[in-house]
Amino acid sequence: MEGYGETSDTDSGIILHSGSDSPTVTTKDVTTHTRAMKLKHQSLQDSLQLCVLELKKLCIREAELTGKLSADYPLAPGEAPPKVRRRIGASFQLDEQSIPRGPKGSPLTLVDAELALQLKIYEAARRLCREEHQNKAVRRSRLQQCKREEKRVKELQESAFQLRLQHGRSSPLPAFSIPFREHGHSDDSSLSDSPVVDEDVHPPPPSSGPACRDQNQLPQTFPVSSPSTADSAILSSPFTPRRAGSPGLDSMLSFCSNPESEAPPIQPSPWTESSLDQPFQKTKKSRSSTKSTASSPASSQVLPPLEACLGNPSLPQQLSQLQLSDRLANGTPPTPELRLHRNLSLRISNPETPPEERSRGHYGPPETMRGYPPYHYGPQENSEDSHSEHSFSTRSGSVCQEQQGEFPRARHLQHPGPTGGPGPHAFQGPALYQSPRYQSGPSFNPGHYPGDVAYALDLVRGYHGPRAPSNRRDCMYVEVPGPAMMAPRRAPQEVRLSRSPSLWEPQRYRSNGPPRQLVDDHLKSWHHRNQFREPRPRSLDRQGAVRVKTVPDWMSPLTHNQRYQEQVLKSRVQQQRLVDDGPGRWFGEDSKAVSLV
Amino acid sequence: MAFVPGQPVTAVVQRVEIQKLCQGDHLILGFSIGGGMDQDPVQNPYSEDKTDKGIYVTRVTPNGPAEKAGLMMGDKIMQVNGWDMTMVTHDQARKRLTKKKEDVVRLLVTRKSLEDAVKHSMSGYPKH
Repeated sequence: MEGYGETSDTDSGIILHSGSDSPTVTTKDVTTHTRAMKLKHQSLQDSLQLCVLELKKLCIREAELTGKLSADYPLAPGEAPPKVRRRIGASFQLDEQSIPRGPKGSPLTLVDAELALQLKIYEAARRLCREEHQNKAVRRSRLQQCKREEKRVKELQESAFQLRLQHGRSSPLPAFSIPFREHGHSDDSSLSDSPVVDEDVHPPPPSSGPACRDQNQLPQTFPVSSPSTADSAILSSPFTPRRAGSPGLDSMLSFCSNPESEAPPIQPSPWTESSLDQPFQKTKKSRSSTKSTASSPASSQVLPPLEACLGNPSLPQQLSQLQLSDRLANGTPPTPELRLHRNLSLRISNPETPPEERSRGHYGPPETMRGYPPYHYGPQENSEDSHSEHSFSTRSGSVCQEQQGEFPRARHLQHPGPTGGPGPHAFQGPALYQSPRYQSGPSFNPGHYPGDVAYALDLVRGYHGPRAPSNRRDCMYVEVPGPAMMAPRRAPQEVRLSRSPSLWEPQRYRSNGPPRQLVDDHLKSWHHRNQFREPRPRSLDRQGAVRVKTVPDWMSPLTHNQRYQEQVLKSRVQQQRLVDDGPGRWFGEDSKAVSLV
Repeated sequence: MAFVPGQPVTAVVQRVEIQKLCQGDHLILGFSIGGGMDQDPVQNPYSEDKTDKGIYVTRVTPNGPAEKAGLMMGDKIMQVNGWDMTMVTHDQARKRLTKKKEDVVRLLVTRKSLEDAVKHSMSGYPKH
């Protein structure tokens, strides 16, 4: 019995449950148990106290932000609710248009800056005015304040207006304050009703007051009433006020922001927005209309529409690629199936090609490809991510790698210069794919360039004879397969045209590579030669036989380098194939992030 | 919201489910996006980090489907129906968002206020 009690002291919980049928044990245990319970009660109360304190803090913080003390505030009996002082300071977020740009220190800029701030202050005052549950005195004073601010706004607007007149409206934001004047004191009703994040979707017609007002007075002014914006005081980003200029903002106009005017070489397109209320197809239509204009020979200076729409106007030259895989040195007699295969493996992707033809060579998801100019989504993207030679090497290099090792005559040429004007040169448009060894610039050997061009063109002409020369202006992809025994293994879809330039490596493409003049010269010389060559049969092999001359050049050490790269890349093929299964996904490679979800 | 390529991204996100509105023969979402891998991130007025090439909500139509769903201007779209939107081109994002056969898009968006709120709650409350 005593032993039992001793146990109960140490382990009261067990006693309580197991020994409850024994009255003596219970009475013996009650005292110890109440002691334990009291301790527990005490600790619980302590934590409750802590929680209440925390709740109080929370409620006070909430009250500071909202101005109302929450009903959840734990009031002890007789305790008076704390007086919360609300609105500790205010910061105003100026919308982009209000931020004065231009020469610093000019009176107009100063006035503009002041006006921008004053507008916010005025709006804040108005909101204070229409706040409920305030006593009369507060209300009256706020009303007065509001009127004062309004008056100040008007003064500032007036002075800004005058200054603008003096400056001949040369300000970057000429019409900024003027429309606002009209409605700044018009109806006060709609503004405060506007939710925090409403912004007008419609382009502001110059006459529509509310639209302008919504833009001029971005309602994100109250950190107090909307704590979300409390920390961002002034938005000072160099956002170009597109709304002011373009009439159809939410249309595709802003999407296809006229590329010809802003055509810095390889830069990301300007930051544009596009409304999602427009069906995606529509934009495509607008593109294709641009396309049709671009495809006319007369306007061959016009960049391909896709780049136009993407605002990446300098890309098409790098987009285009021509790849040759010349295997003639191995002396394999031409076989019919080989020719057939060449037919299959020839891909020309240019904006004029109908979409279905363009996408024939791809095994990306069809829905991603359809209707897209040579800008490829989906699996092809890996060629963007990696160096441009991958697009070649992973296709042809993987299959014909041995042959290329043996007869390293695969040629990648690229000239990144802008396309020339219209003319008899069929090759003005198409840029040539540049092989990795040429990307280092100095190693580019122009000596054998024309010959390759001629070869490529003959290929092209052979298979795309009826096509107008200008149609070939964008991309060419010519691939001659390995020996005949290799041919069956290669499905035609293996051959893909990829948009070669890496989005991340624009500089390299821009800076290195044969200058345009050089290329043009080559083109001319090619044209010259080609005229001599004209009567010849356009057999690939015959022409290739002519090309044997240049073999020594191709056996340069650089070729070995290329071979090595192809071997490396071959190992990537499997990985990329995996990627190819993903719909519309692509891998960034190397340092780029992998965008897998 | 900035991130290092190859490193996991940490962001406080909010789920926004937008029920597309049928208007005529097409579905409207009621907001506009800007940005993308192919656009100049420096000009993005909404991003904190000017190298961020993400997709941002540039406008929200008042009373539009997006506003009803709680989307806000300046939100950065992280995912659309589970698809990553942090490394896509502008067109890809558009396509993903305006799929005709989908009536609902589920977005994961992040915005500064969300991050701030979380930070706040983590760091405790300032004394007042």
